[in-house]
Amino acid sequence: MKGYLGEFEELVLLTIAALQEGAYGVGIKEDIEQRTDRDISIGALHATITRLEEKGFIESWLGDPTLERGGRRKRFFRLTAEGKVALHHVKALRDELWRISKVNLALPK
Amino acid sequence: MKTLPRPPRLPERIFRWYSSGAQVEDLLGDLEEIYQQHLTRMPVRKARRLYWRNALVLLFSYAVKRRKQHAAHHPLSSNAYPFMMLKSYFTIAVRSLAQQRFFTILNVAGLAIGMSISLLFIALLTYVSGYDTFHVRRDRIYRVTTQVLDGDNNRTYASAPAPLAEMLQHECAAAGTIVRIQNRLASNARYKENEVPLAGYFADPTFLQVFTFPLLKGNPATALLKPNSLLITEKAAHKLFRDEDPLGKIITLKEYGDFEITGVLKDHPKNSHMQFEVITSYETLLAWQRAHPQATDAWQEFRGSYIYFLLADHAPATDVEAYFQKATPSIYTQPDKFQAAFHLQALNDIVPGSEHANEIGPEWGYASLYIFGALCLLILLPACFNYTNLSISRALKRAKEIGLRKAMGGQRAQIFQQFITETVLITLLALIGAFGLFLLMRQEFLSMLVSSDALELNADLPTILCFLIFATSVGFVAGIFPAAYFSRLNPVQALRNTIPHGAWGSMWIRKCLMVFQFALSLGFIMSVAIVLKQYRSALTFDFGFDKANIVDVNLQGVDPQRFRNEFSKLSAVQTISLSSNVLGTSYPEETWVKQPDQIDSTQVFAMSIDQHYLGNLGLTLLAGENFGEAPGEQAHHILVNEEFLRVFKLGTATGAVGKTLILPGQGMVSIRGVVKDFYYLLLTERVQSFFFRYSMQDVSYANLKIASNDIFQTFTDMESTWKQLGTDAPFEARFFEDEIEDSYVGYFSMVKICSALGILAISISCLGLLGMVVYATENRTKEVGVRKIMGASTAQLVVLLSKSYFRLLAVAIMIAVPITYLLFDKVFLRIQYYHIDIGVAEIVISIVLLLLLGLVTTLSQTWRAARANPADTVRHE
Repeated sequence: MKGYLGEFEELVLLTIAALQEGAYGVGIKEDIEQRTDRDISIGALHATITRLEEKGFIESWLGDPTLERGGRRKRFFRLTAEGKVALHHVKALRDELWRISKVNLALPK
Repeated sequence: MKTLPRPPRLPERIFRWYSSGAQVEDLLGDLEEIYQQHLTRMPVRKARRLYWRNALVLLFSYAVKRRKQHAAHHPLSSNAYPFMMLKSYFTIAVRSLAQQRFFTILNVAGLAIGMSISLLFIALLTYVSGYDTFHVRRDRIYRVTTQVLDGDNNRTYASAPAPLAEMLQHECAAAGTIVRIQNRLASNARYKENEVPLAGYFADPTFLQVFTFPLLKGNPATALLKPNSLLITEKAAHKLFRDEDPLGKIITLKEYGDFEITGVLKDHPKNSHMQFEVITSYETLLAWQRAHPQATDAWQEFRGSYIYFLLADHAPATDVEAYFQKATPSIYTQPDKFQAAFHLQALNDIVPGSEHANEIGPEWGYASLYIFGALCLLILLPACFNYTNLSISRALKRAKEIGLRKAMGGQRAQIFQQFITETVLITLLALIGAFGLFLLMRQEFLSMLVSSDALELNADLPTILCFLIFATSVGFVAGIFPAAYFSRLNPVQALRNTIPHGAWGSMWIRKCLMVFQFALSLGFIMSVAIVLKQYRSALTFDFGFDKANIVDVNLQGVDPQRFRNEFSKLSAVQTISLSSNVLGTSYPEETWVKQPDQIDSTQVFAMSIDQHYLGNLGLTLLAGENFGEAPGEQAHHILVNEEFLRVFKLGTATGAVGKTLILPGQGMVSIRGVVKDFYYLLLTERVQSFFFRYSMQDVSYANLKIASNDIFQTFTDMESTWKQLGTDAPFEARFFEDEIEDSYVGYFSMVKICSALGILAISISCLGLLGMVVYATENRTKEVGVRKIMGASTAQLVVLLSKSYFRLLAVAIMIAVPITYLLFDKVFLRIQYYHIDIGVAEIVISIVLLLLLGLVTTLSQTWRAARANPADTVRHE
């Protein structure tokens, strides 16, 4: 497995997966902000995206020019097979830890 | 949604610039989208602020950094193997320089001339910065300086009152080891038959601890303890003792008596701010002062007295400063009288350092270094301009090459680097020539400097290294404009040879540079003419007295009456007079004169003479009479000049005779005669009130009027007569005219400096002009051919090709003449009170000289181009 997947990286990867073909910078940012109720700096997001791309977990392409962005193109992102494997690894690790937990992790109702 | 307000422009520009070519379109898009969203929720101002913040955060994020790296690793990028490219640049530069030999020679010559004087400056700078570095504990040695607070100029003296050293010793522990030094030790030393003048210091025994002046022989702990013990340097010892061992020998110093040599000092390095041949104990000075008590207050009169100290271990220098602050009010208790403040000066700051009065040894003030540096720049910059000029005039020739390079993938930075390499190569070649000139000029330059004894301009390794660094930086400065210009060329235009001619305003700048160079050259030519005229006029000036055929003999303690008796026997000597000074070369004595009915005294100059003086020097008496033959009553008479009458309001010359005045130490004197004003000072000073008194005690010169056909024989006769007077001193006699000439020698070195700079500046300008004319005519070869076929005459063509240069020369003249005129008229000549105005002749001669040089340079090229056979030139290409 290539590199370690951080918490925020995992979040971004899963969001890209959730948004499917419509995943681009501001879209991802808004989605995460809505779901997690926290402010994300655009710099931090793009830094993470760049790292993910470097690790080969996502790939990107430029879309068509749009009107609302001063005619600029969006860069869209998509999970690669390696990205999916990485997500599986993380999930497997989590599941195993949940399973072997000696403490009862169930919350009281 | 269509016409949304756009985000601020500036951050976007910064973003693009910083990302330098990396792909950031989507990032900017994201920023703008966020901005649009913000606009729906908040005021524009806040949205803009957030846009700024987001842009900056994104700009310094890993995303942009990574994209920039990616862009840089493009196959066409130049960052991959910088040193390999350097080798290629070098090869190409060598080839292109070899190909354009004329251009290379022209530039190498120009830059060599321009850099030569800067090399002198650099050598001087490196030498001066090495001053006093041989002292082992130099970082902890300080000197006490004294700032005299008299309200007017508050001069700072390098010297300090000697009693301060005792106070420091007792009351300030931080001052550590203190040395008192007195530099007035200058005397003739005698050992057996050998007599040698020696100069040096009186110093405390701690002198050898604080400073690193090693003793070759003798015990440093005891060498300077006793009075009349003396340390001598190796070199001086050799002069005095030849090959004998000096240690323990007794020598006699004329004023101070017998001394025992207690040690031999190693000769101190030349770059020491202390220069001495002998060191004697401070005790000697104290004993001498006890024997010759003086009325002056040591706290106020401290010239020649210096205090140095080695700071105590772990003590900060500020402790001593604080002590001065505290102690000064208790020293100078009367606030309306003499006031002074003491400061510290680190040994490392003495040379080079700020200028102080009464320096102990050679000084190199910042001011003189700055002026010299500015002059160097004035010569160097035109040489750099030349290079810039000539490179750009070749744009047409090289455009194709650059276009091809760019078309093949050469990037802007690479073209830039290639041109810089070429320039640096040229300046390094020029450095060789400049170094040759440096070696030639070095001796002459040293001889013009006052402190040349303490200066060497060696080309040692650090200096050479500085030269290399200097040449490389000159290359960068000269090459940066052409390199920037060429690297900007559009490859399509360049390959088609259709470069816009006025691109980058180059023509305009080139013209300005040309004008500046010629204005500078003309300025130097004019300076030489003006200063030369001043010098000549000072020599032929009517001083109001005769200076021809007068020989001044320094009496050196010989009885004037005996001198007169013996010398009047010589047939060549017509008349002999006696005086205390030599007129017109040095300052006479200053004294204070008071009128009986007034309270305040007025400062006047005075000189002591005998009754033959006026006649001998041809001074004119306006009223009254000369001193008479009878010696008795002379002491109460003086002769005054006209200015004296004006200052003391004594009315007419005849009316003033017989009036009385009070002289200090002499009491009442009466005016016996009035002398027509004459110039008893250098011409730099105004004639002020002056009087002659009759005094045989004060005379130290005999003025002999000589009438002889064989001067050499006369001097031999005089010398043998001098020997008969029974004195050991050598015969010192000089022609009055020569002495006057010597006192204006400053002008002569100024002429030399101006001429040297002028020659450098003119050579550079002419080389630059030559280059420009050559390329401009080359570019117009075809045009000239066509014109010739159409019937233009050679003369017409020469005028056509040359007239633009003469227009530039005319502008240069119009700029240089008034500036130089004002500079000399308002600044330099004001230094001399009696000066000759700048005449039209100097200006005209200078202009003609400049035009002549410009004409020769231009015509040499245009004439050839105009005479060329059109059949050959039109076929060109």
